[in-house]
Amino acid sequence: MSESHTRKVLEPFGWIFQMITGLLLFAFVIFHLYITHLTSHDALEYAKVVERLSNPAIKAFYWLFLASASFHAFNGLRAILLDTDFGGRNERAVNAITMLLFVVAVVYGGLLLITF
Amino acid sequence: MEREVIFRIRRFDGEKTYWQDFRFTARKGMTVLEGLYFIKENLDGSLAFRASCRMGVCGSCAVKINGRPRLACETQIFDIGSTLEIEPLDNMPVLKDLIVDMDGFFRKHEAVKPYLIRRDDDYENPKELLQTPEELHAYYDFSLCIKCGACYSACPASATRSDYLGPAAITAAYRFCADSRDEGREDRLNLVSGSDGVWRCHFNAECSEVCPKSIEPAKAVQRMRLMSAIHMIKSIFR
Repeated sequence: MSESHTRKVLEPFGWIFQMITGLLLFAFVIFHLYITHLTSHDALEYAKVVERLSNPAIKAFYWLFLASASFHAFNGLRAILLDTDFGGRNERAVNAITMLLFVVAVVYGGLLLITF
Repeated sequence: MEREVIFRIRRFDGEKTYWQDFRFTARKGMTVLEGLYFIKENLDGSLAFRASCRMGVCGSCAVKINGRPRLACETQIFDIGSTLEIEPLDNMPVLKDLIVDMDGFFRKHEAVKPYLIRRDDDYENPKELLQTPEELHAYYDFSLCIKCGACYSACPASATRSDYLGPAAITAAYRFCADSRDEGREDRLNLVSGSDGVWRCHFNAECSEVCPKSIEPAKAVQRMRLMSAIHMIKSIFR
């Protein structure tokens, strides 16, 4: 796959996944608030957090939450930068840096999740 | 009915920008363009503005009136009030007073190939291209654009990125992509799907708000965006 092709597919995929992750985040944030604030008064204690994260389903949920939030944030940042003349001149750098930050956030956050 | 009105005009003489007030008595039914002509003929002959048809067809007289891009010939003075702030359009360099340099705007329009592309062009033996009323309605509204630049002036994406194609050019591209007689869709989709194309639109829809022909450029840009996304994703599997 040539570089220009990669750059071209980033724009439509960026747009579509920005919408999908936006909708997912709406549901994820509500679920996160529900299990951390609305189920019990001591849900935020360390022991409770460890207990919750020992459940693989919850772990998978938080990883998906992390991936969605990171993509939405860094793809949004990419779009904001590309909206400027500075971003337009440095398009490849903007794409590479923001997508790298997305990958770093997902990998680093994923490693933290695995340690629990 | 007659009333005294104030035209506050943002002027530019090539070096400095300044505001100048003109007071005169306007008649009921008088348009902003007639007011500008009155000033030029009676108060200050150095005032520069563009105008041609005086009936909302040519798109030459678009200016900002109280912050909103409008056609001066289609706006009545009394509909706005007794004080009118008149400025040149945004997002284009000002040449003199209310005249802006529209060259970049037209270059972008030209770039999207806004004409019918046919593989079987044969001018020696022209043939009739038939269309059903439904096929006509798919693009008809968007073909009413008069290239006045009002949408481009109001567009926040055009304000922050100077090479963004802008609502007028993308609407022109959509007008031909939605035409059943056209065969240049692929060319145009490649032209509008770069980082300076449809992806820069954030659907503020200011273009649709200010369009004097009510053709909804924002709708055309969104449709063009969807068409581009589908086209580019399909192109991966080809």
